[in-house]
Amino acid sequence: MPTTAETKHSNGRNKGIFNNTTGFSTLITVTVLSLAWLAGFASRLFAVIRFESIIHEFDPWFNYRSTAYMVQHGFYNFLNWFDERAWYPLGRIVGGTVYPGLMITSGTIHWILHTLNIPIHIRDICVFLAPIFSGLTAIATYLLTSELWSRGAGLFAACFIAIVPGYSSRSVAGSYDNEGIAIFALQFTYYLWLKSIKSGSIFWSICTALSYFYMVSAWGGYVFIINLIPLHVFVLLIMGRFSQRLFVSYTVFYIIGLLLSMQIPFVGFQPIRTSEHMAASGVFALLMAVGALKYLHSLNPKGQWKQLLILGGLVAAGTVFLAVVLLTYMGVIAPWSGRFYSLWDTGYAKIHIPIIASVSEHQPTTWSSFFFDLHVLVCTFPVGLWYCIKNINDERVFVALYALSAVYFAGVMVRLMLTLTPVVCVLAGIAFSILLDLVLKEDEMQTAPVETEDSKNLYDKAGKLKKRTPEPVPAADSGLGMNVRSGTLIAFMILLMLFSVHCTWATSNAYSSPSIVLASYGNDGSRKILDDFREAYGWLSQNTAEDARIMSWWDYGYQIAGMGNRTTLVDNNTWNNSHIALVGKAMASNESAAYDIMTMLDVDYVLVIFGGAIGYSGDDINKFIWMVRIAEGEHPKEIHEADYFTERGEYRVDSEASKTMLNCLMYKLSYYRYDSGGSPAGYDRTRGALPGHRGFQLTYLEEAYTTEHWLVRIYRVKKPDEFNRPRLPLAKRTIPTSNNLSKKPAYDLGPMTSKRRKGLLKNKPTLVKGKKMTKLE
Amino acid sequence: MKISLILGLIACFSIACAEQETLVLVDNLNIRETHSQFFKSLQDRGYSLTFKLADDANLVLSKYGEYLYKNLIVFSPSVVEFGGQLDTEGITKFIDDGGNVLMAGNSVAGDVYREIVSECGFEMDEESAAVIDHFNYDALDEGDHTRIVVSPKNLINAPTIVGTQNTQPLLFEGTGLILDKDNSLVMPILTADSTAYSYNPKSLVKEYPHAVGRKTVLIAALQARNNARIIFSGSLFFFSDEAFNSPVAKVHGDKTKASLSGNKALAVHLSEWAFGERGQLRVRRVHHHRQGDKQSSNTYTITDTVVYKIEIEELKNGKWQPFEANDVQLEFVRIDPFIRTTLKKKPNGVYEGIFKVPDVWGVYQFKVDYDRIGYTRLYHSTQVSVRPLQHTQYERFIPSAYPYYVSAFSMMVGVFLFSFVFLYYKEETPKSKSE
Repeated sequence: MPTTAETKHSNGRNKGIFNNTTGFSTLITVTVLSLAWLAGFASRLFAVIRFESIIHEFDPWFNYRSTAYMVQHGFYNFLNWFDERAWYPLGRIVGGTVYPGLMITSGTIHWILHTLNIPIHIRDICVFLAPIFSGLTAIATYLLTSELWSRGAGLFAACFIAIVPGYSSRSVAGSYDNEGIAIFALQFTYYLWLKSIKSGSIFWSICTALSYFYMVSAWGGYVFIINLIPLHVFVLLIMGRFSQRLFVSYTVFYIIGLLLSMQIPFVGFQPIRTSEHMAASGVFALLMAVGALKYLHSLNPKGQWKQLLILGGLVAAGTVFLAVVLLTYMGVIAPWSGRFYSLWDTGYAKIHIPIIASVSEHQPTTWSSFFFDLHVLVCTFPVGLWYCIKNINDERVFVALYALSAVYFAGVMVRLMLTLTPVVCVLAGIAFSILLDLVLKEDEMQTAPVETEDSKNLYDKAGKLKKRTPEPVPAADSGLGMNVRSGTLIAFMILLMLFSVHCTWATSNAYSSPSIVLASYGNDGSRKILDDFREAYGWLSQNTAEDARIMSWWDYGYQIAGMGNRTTLVDNNTWNNSHIALVGKAMASNESAAYDIMTMLDVDYVLVIFGGAIGYSGDDINKFIWMVRIAEGEHPKEIHEADYFTERGEYRVDSEASKTMLNCLMYKLSYYRYDSGGSPAGYDRTRGALPGHRGFQLTYLEEAYTTEHWLVRIYRVKKPDEFNRPRLPLAKRTIPTSNNLSKKPAYDLGPMTSKRRKGLLKNKPTLVKGKKMTKLE
Repeated sequence: MKISLILGLIACFSIACAEQETLVLVDNLNIRETHSQFFKSLQDRGYSLTFKLADDANLVLSKYGEYLYKNLIVFSPSVVEFGGQLDTEGITKFIDDGGNVLMAGNSVAGDVYREIVSECGFEMDEESAAVIDHFNYDALDEGDHTRIVVSPKNLINAPTIVGTQNTQPLLFEGTGLILDKDNSLVMPILTADSTAYSYNPKSLVKEYPHAVGRKTVLIAALQARNNARIIFSGSLFFFSDEAFNSPVAKVHGDKTKASLSGNKALAVHLSEWAFGERGQLRVRRVHHHRQGDKQSSNTYTITDTVVYKIEIEELKNGKWQPFEANDVQLEFVRIDPFIRTTLKKKPNGVYEGIFKVPDVWGVYQFKVDYDRIGYTRLYHSTQVSVRPLQHTQYERFIPSAYPYYVSAFSMMVGVFLFSFVFLYYKEETPKSKSE
């Protein structure tokens, strides 16, 4: 976005010149922010322009479906919605297992627009919600950064967050997910928190709590806030920065925030019953103790209060800690849940909770993705951090803690890159602002005297020119020459330019694919759309019974429910591990064992994703090993991961693959009747191998539908009464018969011959003409 | 209007007639005479029999996708290949489409028989093998000890299939059948005694016989999952007039004697069962509702009390009449049955169960699976969802929360009072100081 970079530039300069004219700087601010909003919005529209206005990926489909339900049936029915189409036969209470903030937000927008007689479909609101909120995030970031440093830094930060790929990855048009609005809520809460801690006013604290409430309603990441703010308070206490302002703002925020957060049904009593929230209450108790000691100190300022204060503080902290530990042991407080525990012990999930480790966005972050998502910001934000720590005050302690913890979490999980991005933008904004201040202020100091000299030149004599020589000396003292400064300036402008180019490129190429519609490019650059997913879901919705139950791996649950409108067994809300393990076991078992599980679960259709024909690597065979692992976790006697590897521990599908692998349901459903994929026919382009087991027949299932590019394959599970007779197969017979099944071979010879064929009887009495038969034998 | 009524009536009649259409395949038309009593009993009950030679070139079971016959009787052991369009596959397809089959063979029966039988899940012994019993043969036996006498005690305990009054000994001459143990649908109607075995009577016993003792099944039946019924007798002789009329006298053992064999009664009963005259059940109506409500509902809330009613009918003498039993069970299933209860019998074949829905939400099924030997399988499942309490359904004031109510309200009162004190209290001390 060259425009944003330029406006930043001009702003930095203007700030110096029009330092006093607040009107002009407000105009600049408003212009820059609205341009940032526009740029952020526009750069998120690639998906809509290239494909169509459609909901992306997996989770957004559920959010969209429940939003549509809420708009149609009203909020209270949504709150009480029992979805019998998900998690068959367990069902799901949607109202109690969802963060409703997203649905309420778009529902409110829909309601307002319809009250104004603007008939817009809820889908369009859902598609464009995240891009719109990116502008609000930019404003919130501006406010936060201005609170921390300066308005110039705020404008930089706002422009960065508007286009940075780390954030736009979760907020492109169509990516209708919690994170889209949660990052705004996160930044805004932090802004209000800094405001309240600065002012110590109850008003701002209550505003913080309200914003926190919105965040709680929107995203599970609210736990980050409720741990970071107490951490901030705790560190301030340690640093001896206790003040009345801190006391008021934290106590008010904590109590009101706690009460409000418990109003969300999904959160419920968690804030007082789980370890994740205990830091907040512990710090609350500690703050109370310290406040009490300070009060005692104020009553009698003499004596050995300092030691007592430190000792009392330590005792209070120890007591709080022991109380929490004790309550955890007594079972009053739930211990850390696996998801959070895996943040500390990065190998934990892999061993104990394969379902968490199996999610691609829970993988550890690679170094390159830091650069990919943040580009130049990742190099500059330590500068901002350094300046913040150097000129420390209460708020900058906060941003330092924010940065350090977010960096750690982003290193643990790819997904948490999202929480790092805002603080990186803030700190990089500060760094760039400092730099420009440095470079341009010097410039002005220098130009200002030159100007005066020029003006003076009109009146003064030439002899005064000698005064010029001492003028540049202070500039030389600051260590930067004119050339260096302009060189630096140009270099950084180029960097920013490259940054905006990179942001646009990354958003457009990496993050703007709807993933339900795939595009491939031919050698001549022509684009080919692969719409197999929607083809398959459309087939399901048109050709299966209304209450048909579809078994698939959980990734596709939300899409089947959202697009196919059919009952699913498991979906992306992975709340029940054993149910998922049952599906995994069915996929990993052989056909007859799988059939038992499928009849137990009343499965009507099985849907598998097979990318072998087009080289789509995200298909079920590549995910299969996770199904095996998850199934093994629950059924260690029946499923063994090692059985699915070759003797050398390789995961393959060709003729060297293990027997278990070649006979499992997932393998058979993927390769049944498969003859596409280039030469030789039946070649798997994803794995680059020829399947080891081909030309087999299915006993308990029959192929119902396969999409154009073999991407989605749907099978019908035969009902038990289709196995009408208990047939004795040839191998089990004890009495040998001549052939398996006597079939009339003559059908080819024409209808007349086959229909009028004489049979054959043994010892048939023949009539001989001319003789009189007395008795028929 | 009238014309359509008449047309409808005609259609009904034609369907009723078509249901009784029966094709009889024979080796030679002579069998019509030798088994006349059995065929007569069928004709008396309203079956129209079409006799055809098994090698008839015009054999067809269906025309234009419609079956011409409801039942099939195969009394042609010596068939090597059926004529016309008929073959093993045709017969199995006939069964899969709901047709009933009565088959009888003897020791000359060929591989076609064996194939059909194997398709139904049991086996017939080798060609020319016959059931031999050196201890239980009839006085009229010709020396091979193949005309054996079987006690009615060896019959399966299923009155619906074999009837209740089987007291006379039975005569049997033919091949033994072997049942597959894993096969739960095939029923041994009549088994041989422990002294019997199945082998070629003309040769020395060199190998261990395929069927020995009680494992030798003489008559087997299968009710397929679509309720098509197949009866297979190893003996064609069993259905013959000769067997029907002859006296029975066992040579060894308890020397049972009877002036008339029990073959006729059993054969008639078996044919009645096989052709669906008995043991047919159907669900007429299912209704479930919350206790106290009238309307049926597809959604229940946890711990609701539910009334489930099912009306079951049995076909008796060609009419659907209320079914009487006291062992009809209902299951309320979500993967596993959460509730299994015996339904109470009410008048008119209505069975009723009242129970409390479990305190676990999910998608459940009411399942009635009444599977008794001799009856068609009665299976009915209805899917309902059991949802948790709505936010308005929880108790509003619970006793354990009273301390919190008190604290909340006392706090409100306290703040109210305190604000008065704070606003209107004038401190005296500064004055005294200034003074």
